[in-house]
Amino acid sequence: MCKEFGTGNWPPALQEIIDEFSEIEDQMERLEILFDYSEEIDELPPAEWSESTIVHGCQSEAHIKVTFSQESGFHLIGAADAKLVQGLMAVTSIGLEGLSLEEVVNFSPDFASEMGLMNILSPSRANGFRNMLHKIQEDTKNLKE
Amino acid sequence: MIFDPYTCRKDFPILNRILPNGKPLVYLDNSATTQKPSCVIDAMSRYYLEYNSNVHRAVHTLSSEATNAYEGAREMIADWFGLTDGNLLFTSGTTEAINLVAHSWGRANLSKGDVIVLTEMEHHSDIVPWQMLAEETGVELRWVPFDKENFQLDMAAFEMSLEDAKLVCCIHTSNVLGIRNPVEEIISLAHNVGARVLIDAAQAAPHDRIGISELGADFVAVSAHKMSGPTGIGALFVNAETLTEMKPFLGGGDMIREVFLDHSTYQEGSFKFEAGTPKIAEAIGWAEAVKWLSNIGFESSHSHSIKLAQKVADAFRNIPGMTVLGRQDNDDAPLISFIHDSLHAADMAQMLDAHGIAIRTGHHCAQPLLRSLGLTSTNRASFYLYNTEEEADFLIETVQKLVERFS
Ligand SMILES: Cc1ncc(COP(=O)(O)O)c(C=O)c1O
Repeated sequence: MCKEFGTGNWPPALQEIIDEFSEIEDQMERLEILFDYSEEIDELPPAEWSESTIVHGCQSEAHIKVTFSQESGFHLIGAADAKLVQGLMAVTSIGLEGLSLEEVVNFSPDFASEMGLMNILSPSRANGFRNMLHKIQEDTKNLKE
Repeated sequence: MIFDPYTCRKDFPILNRILPNGKPLVYLDNSATTQKPSCVIDAMSRYYLEYNSNVHRAVHTLSSEATNAYEGAREMIADWFGLTDGNLLFTSGTTEAINLVAHSWGRANLSKGDVIVLTEMEHHSDIVPWQMLAEETGVELRWVPFDKENFQLDMAAFEMSLEDAKLVCCIHTSNVLGIRNPVEEIISLAHNVGARVLIDAAQAAPHDRIGISELGADFVAVSAHKMSGPTGIGALFVNAETLTEMKPFLGGGDMIREVFLDHSTYQEGSFKFEAGTPKIAEAIGWAEAVKWLSNIGFESSHSHSIKLAQKVADAFRNIPGMTVLGRQDNDDAPLISFIHDSLHAADMAQMLDAHGIAIRTGHHCAQPLLRSLGLTSTNRASFYLYNTEEEADFLIETVQKLVERFS
């Protein structure tokens, strides 16, 4: 059965991160935690960065690769030269981990604003985040076909 | 007149702003645009509140007042920049000024076989219009490199590139390196071979009155918003002889003398290139900015902002892993580009913003320059007359702290 993930209904691991972020008042502290999350992604080594992995319309260089197996579900691999970007990517990967292809394609981007990130990231970065999720979802659609 | 940054700050209410994150604003993105003193904003609203009307067209009182203010502004701005002979054409800024040269002068005077000489340091606004012209007319673009250690233009390469040159385009002061190019020598060498010279003075105008007629360039482009004036206005200065070689660019009202159904005749001088209702409030605001600058002791403000930039540059050079672009003893313009080995420029800028510090990050509209240094982005802190030593110290401390924690 396909679940529609969005506000009020996030995967538990992502809900935990959203709660962690929403308890923080200080903008710098939020960035600090996001920076530390950059370690939490299955990193795509720079040698594998290519035209097919690049997220276009991102201020810094960001790359993603989507994988899926029947046993463990969806898994995101990725990296970025800017750590805050990679941190947001890592949080995204935690949210999407193990989901079905259908669930990934329909995943709502609203978790970033619930984490209080959209109003502290510059408009071009916020845009970069939307482009990243869009590419994840488009690549996932291609996996399905 | 003794310059005092603390007195001068009082004219900028925006500098007292507390940001939504609770931090006081520390504005260090002045090379992108400076803040505007209250008197500039007031002069513009006074025009709209008290004598808004179109210029050059009617006999009523308001129109005379507006025309006098607008043409008076032109005179004051020309005076400020030392224009004793030649014309000031109002444009929307440096970008439009350069595009105007490409359209009005370039298309009328250049063709296949001609050469335009440019430098690797140019801002995109002094690159793209020429690429567009080259595509259309087949003129050749020749690029002068600079030394990657001391950031000096390669003058030997410049001289060699002058063969068949009809136009030389050069950035006066680099918006990435803060370095002033030897524009006097460039102009003189170019004129020796009969080439016209365009100087992009967008980053010179905030710190230097330029002395345009004495400098002797054929075209000089500036923007008001980088020198306490409003956005949306700038100028192209053209010497009298070169102006006669320019064809009108935009057609319409104000630029004509007489219009018939089968042809039109044009105004003389700057008017020929200013079609339509001009930027009236903006011109008035810019003139007010120039007046304000004369009153606050502009000449001595430069050494103040340079001192701040040098202090920051020296401190940054002592941070392990930090590179500061530009010369160590640079006192041309108070801006510094810096980049850390392991803390990405975008992360640095985002974290400085969380401390209330506004700096610029990215390619600064000079991708060829950055690429030639093997970079894709840098951070840039740029100072202006209202910045204080406390702000410079706060930047230094914050960057030191961020590098310690995150690299
Ligand atoms: C050196 C230089 N040239 C040209 C420009 C373009 O100025 P404007 O955007 O006001 O047209 C800038 C401003 O960023 C600049 O720094």
